[in-house]
Amino acid sequence: MSGILRHLGVSMWRYLKLLGIQLKASLLLSMQYRADFFIDAVISMFWAVTAIAPLWVVYGERVGGQISGWSLGEAMLVVGCFIFLQAVLEGVIQPSLQTVVEHIRKGTLDFVLLKPADAQFLVSTARFQPWKASNFLASGVIFGVAFARLEVWPSLGNLAQGALLLVVATGLLYSLWIWVVSAAFVVVKVNNLTFLLSAILDVGRWPVGVFRGVLRWVFTFVIPTALMTTFPAQALLGVLSWAEFRLVIVCAVVFAIVSRWVWLRSIRYYTSASS
Amino acid sequence: MIEVEHLKKYYSVFRREPGLRNSLKALFRRQKTEVRAVDGLSFHIAEGKRVGFLGPNGAGKTTTLKMLSGLLYPSSGKVLVDGHLPHKRETDFLKKIILVMGQKQQLLWDLPPLETLELNRAIYEVQKPVFRKRLEALTELLDIGPQLRTPARQLSLGERMKCELAAGLIHSPKLLFLDEPTIGLDVSMQQTIREFIRSYNEKEGATLILTSHNMDDVEALCPRILVIDKGRLLFDGSVAELVAQVKPEKRIGLRFEDNKLPENLEAYGRVVSTGVGEATLQLNREEVSGVLGQLLARFAIKDLTVENPPLEEVMGELFSKHAFLRHEEGTEST
Repeated sequence: MSGILRHLGVSMWRYLKLLGIQLKASLLLSMQYRADFFIDAVISMFWAVTAIAPLWVVYGERVGGQISGWSLGEAMLVVGCFIFLQAVLEGVIQPSLQTVVEHIRKGTLDFVLLKPADAQFLVSTARFQPWKASNFLASGVIFGVAFARLEVWPSLGNLAQGALLLVVATGLLYSLWIWVVSAAFVVVKVNNLTFLLSAILDVGRWPVGVFRGVLRWVFTFVIPTALMTTFPAQALLGVLSWAEFRLVIVCAVVFAIVSRWVWLRSIRYYTSASS
Repeated sequence: MIEVEHLKKYYSVFRREPGLRNSLKALFRRQKTEVRAVDGLSFHIAEGKRVGFLGPNGAGKTTTLKMLSGLLYPSSGKVLVDGHLPHKRETDFLKKIILVMGQKQQLLWDLPPLETLELNRAIYEVQKPVFRKRLEALTELLDIGPQLRTPARQLSLGERMKCELAAGLIHSPKLLFLDEPTIGLDVSMQQTIREFIRSYNEKEGATLILTSHNMDDVEALCPRILVIDKGRLLFDGSVAELVAQVKPEKRIGLRFEDNKLPENLEAYGRVVSTGVGEATLQLNREEVSGVLGQLLARFAIKDLTVENPPLEEVMGELFSKHAFLRHEEGTEST
């Protein structure tokens, strides 16, 4: 048992070091394009405002200031989670996984597959866009404004639960993106698919309560935007039940296992079909 | 080191006839055909040897190389590389090999090659002092000091290939798979790369498998060649044996004093080419010494060479013979 634990520890340490080197390479690369930082900062603030604007329009029309039991301040927390995940997607997940698509197109995935390290790890950490960090700032600002509006601040426990669920949501988002990228092994051009997924994920800016019937079910279990944005917001508000918390964790584990399986199947397809 | 028995790799590809009607038809019903990229190859390669894979486009060279390195699953047959089944891509196996492809690169495009080397150091778990020592040796041998610190996109093709080799060799692999390593390079750079590869093989005792269209590469580097066509092994032996078997004639190159070409040279052998005061004759091996004596006795000769026909011609003849035989086989079987 201790042998296995030691082996696990050594592996984790090795992969952490690899992650550090990949991050350093991404940083070096980003330094060459400094102007991107300022452009991204402006664009992310613009998107943050446009993400909130519809809320104002919708809530402005309402008498009583509630939609499906959500006040404007509460709904802004959902938008904050949405912007946070968008920052993760654009800064961490998408750039790396876009390089997989490039690798497949150019045939250079061969080099990755011949490295004595996990190929999924290598491609998933190949590229970061640190300048997109400005999106995280934007989500922080939205959280701040939302709590100020609600005139309550989350307890430490609620904050920890919310933060944990955002990390789990990142895992869910990554799993979904692995599915899309795996499609590149078969269809090569997956841009349309990534646009489609981005568009669907867009519903994550609304609390899931605004959807009814089948749609609510779809956005909870199939494309789990509810688990990624509504549930963390509820955790921050201290209204998430333990059953709902467990549901997010179980879903994230299932999605991770399935996405790993899909990835391995895709690699197998690549190595048996390409020339 | 390498054992290959009855190795086969078949692909299914979809065929589509040209034209709009056929394209529409293909949307709903596609015709599948089987491509036999490798069709029953068997060979053994001992440790530390340099072996060249020769063959025309689509012969199955790269497919074989990919099966040996573990990138492709064989359809059937056996491949064992240093005791490993390559397609399992075990860490121990991957640490022993490299694949360098002349047409594809692993260097990080926008960063100096040193960053790729540093990444490979971490991936291959090379200790820092060992890394520094190897880097120093590779930098000197390949003469790439300044290039290692220049973004890869700003390097010339030759400089990039040298850095590719450095990135691939930083973990001292025992087995090198080189796919067209000199493609697109000028003659002097080809020479540099060849000399480096040879010295690496001799110093480290690494086994080397090379595919190339460039016959000079193969002649200079590989004492043994495997000629492949349509996925089948046509020849296994040395270049000299191949020439003796396929095109056993010799060529005598002559340069005459006063740059004047004498008449009736045909009497001594088949005239392959002529220039100002020079000619090349082709004749059977056994006639060479007799004819040389006669030529030297009759003409004032400034310069004289005796060579095998160029490898390109030998290969051309071998492939056309093979194509003819396959055609015959096909006609007999129908």
